[in-house]
Amino acid sequence: MSDKTERIILDVAYQPQVRTKTDTMRLMLDVIIALIPAAIVGVLQFGVYTLVLLLTSICSAVFWEWGYRRLFKKEASIGDLSAVVTGLLLGLTMPPTAPWWLPVVGTFFAIVIVKQLYGGIGKNFLNPALAGRAFLFSSYATIMATWSVPNALSGTVDGTTMATPLAGLYGDGLPAYFTAKSMFMGYMPGCIGEISAFALLLGGAYLIWRKVISWRIPVSFIGSVALLTLVFGKSGYGNGEWMLYNVFSGSLMLGAIFMATDYATSPVTLNGQLLFGVGCGMLTVLIRYFGGFPEGTTYAILIMNLCSWAIDKAFHRHQFGVSKSDILFQKAEQMAAKEAAKFE
Amino acid sequence: MNRGKQFKEGLITNNPVLVQQIGMCATMAITTTLFNGVGMGLSVLIILTCCNVVVAALRKIIPDEIRLAIFVVVIAGFVTIVDLLLQAFIPALSAALGVFIPLIVVNCIIIGRAEAFCQKNTVKDSFFDGIFQGLGYTCVLIIMCVFREFVGSGRFGGGLIDVANGFRFTLDGTGGGIQIFPEEFGASIMNLPFGGFLTLGLLIGLMQYALKRSEKKKKEAERAAREAALKEVEE
Amino acid sequence: MNNKIVRLALVLFAICAVTAGILGVVNALTFERIDQITHQKEYEAYAAVLGSESGYTPVEFDKAAFPTVDSVNRSNDGNGHVVVSTFSGAQGSITMAVGVDNDLKCSGISIIEHSETSGLGAVAASTSAAGEAFRAQFVGQDQSIALSKAGGSVDALAGATITSSAVTDATANSIACVASLG
Repeated sequence: MSDKTERIILDVAYQPQVRTKTDTMRLMLDVIIALIPAAIVGVLQFGVYTLVLLLTSICSAVFWEWGYRRLFKKEASIGDLSAVVTGLLLGLTMPPTAPWWLPVVGTFFAIVIVKQLYGGIGKNFLNPALAGRAFLFSSYATIMATWSVPNALSGTVDGTTMATPLAGLYGDGLPAYFTAKSMFMGYMPGCIGEISAFALLLGGAYLIWRKVISWRIPVSFIGSVALLTLVFGKSGYGNGEWMLYNVFSGSLMLGAIFMATDYATSPVTLNGQLLFGVGCGMLTVLIRYFGGFPEGTTYAILIMNLCSWAIDKAFHRHQFGVSKSDILFQKAEQMAAKEAAKFE
Repeated sequence: MNRGKQFKEGLITNNPVLVQQIGMCATMAITTTLFNGVGMGLSVLIILTCCNVVVAALRKIIPDEIRLAIFVVVIAGFVTIVDLLLQAFIPALSAALGVFIPLIVVNCIIIGRAEAFCQKNTVKDSFFDGIFQGLGYTCVLIIMCVFREFVGSGRFGGGLIDVANGFRFTLDGTGGGIQIFPEEFGASIMNLPFGGFLTLGLLIGLMQYALKRSEKKKKEAERAAREAALKEVEE
Repeated sequence: MNNKIVRLALVLFAICAVTAGILGVVNALTFERIDQITHQKEYEAYAAVLGSESGYTPVEFDKAAFPTVDSVNRSNDGNGHVVVSTFSGAQGSITMAVGVDNDLKCSGISIIEHSETSGLGAVAASTSAAGEAFRAQFVGQDQSIALSKAGGSVDALAGATITSSAVTDATANSIACVASLG
């Protein structure tokens, strides 16, 4: 009997620790709802095949999660929908022409290697969907960098593939058929779910309204990218124009709203979240300006994921009602006691 | 000394890479094709056996104070011999393994065995220790190579096997290997250092899992036997 | 005390001496063969970019003006030079041999060593059709060689602009180096 009560106290749930009726499943359901507008824009722009890709990605993610837990005789966890979210997010970061097996391989890496081997939901140190994307990007670089023409541009562009606006911005110039407004609406090539800043912001607003995520990480992330690109413009573009292009293109919105805000891999301290967002933004801009890849969001978030424990440590709050000198005094006393214990 | 036990220790229960966790740097770096793995494994096996024998033979005249210096001289000598021989007779292997052949000098397996085993054991035991530990190392390399090559490029036996004109072994590293699925489906990240870390991590995890399980089973069997014996006494 | 140190030194010296002796013997046995193999390898890389019946001779060049160039080798047949240079690609350094004929046109390139991304930049060195096609574009180009997006006629490898432009620039540099020999 006493054994059982002790267990309950020790088994503190991982974040979020909210005292409401909200549970993981409800949170995940909200994330899925918030992603639907972006998915719809992707399917409308790139055709029905992308819907098949998204569904393959979700089903395979759920299958890997179920299979792993089953194989190692662990409690089933597909009911919390987190695998669905991982699958959907990974599917949304696929290029529209990806073969069907690509998300299957990606979700295997995301779910089995990154998430389950470290203990399952809440214990992974990298965002599974992003890690899966990075794995695919390093393994199948050619497939992952082939962009098909969205329906909105099918009259303007010859051929079936084209370069993304980012490649233009950091290469030989942005073609005239891209405007800040058309990019905001999602009339550009890219991953299935990243193209429409408008749909993603809609989803983000829903998540903030539902209190699933706080405004801190997305706002500091996108804000720092905006500020840096505004200050360090490029000749040939107006500073404001350059800033808008940078904010609306690539996977910045998708990353900032849905990936960087993952509970398990971002800081819990409030100031820590701001620093995390700014760090993501700075790294994104650095990689875009100086890196070998046109887009830096994936690696920026993954790198900051690895730092989030250190950020939390740095912003660790003191006990309420205790001054800093009290803590120092306490520490000194403890050390003295330890030293004394050595001689006994 | 029990040869069977020594064999099992080298390959499984005291495997240099998976259990002692030494000599991992080269393990992660060179395990990209079967040719590299077999070449590196055999090189280490030969050097390890030679060093073990020499150190064990000299163990009585090596003064304790300078034993490490002497080990290093002996090891460096054998490594240089093997390096020169490879450069002269299997240049492809020498080119593929590059700096990792000279680096066997600082491979912990060899100095580790000299320090932990040969110092205190006879020449014969040390000889077999070198063979078995070397085999354990080679086996791990081969498993890693086969896995990484298969997942990374859909191939088996790259460099070592050629099937273009009938099945044959190529000792000069020119064999194309057996293509099991087209290379463009392979997760090429497995050929990069990341793949080495990932594979080694998975292998160590699997090994520890298996070892812990067998230990648990052994303990349970022992307890059951003890309880049965107690019962008999009581009756 | 003194005796002990002397003894330690003697033992260590004896073992070192024996090792050195054995190594000397092995070196003597293998030296010629290794030397031959090394030369053959270089010869093959050179022959791939500029054929020569009678071998190559290294010539002096202005290292200060062309810091990335490792060596310039004149073909003994008198049909041109082979320039070996090491420069940075997208991931690490690339070592490449460029054949330059007497009209200061590129006769071929061959990447000897690289660490580019597999599937992207690595295609430049691979024996695949895409790799062969990429390298074939360099044959016959002169010092003004450039990627098509920079106004030249070399099409960059898909997704590997940095590698492509590094290789192109190095080719131009190699031709310039031979031109400077006069």
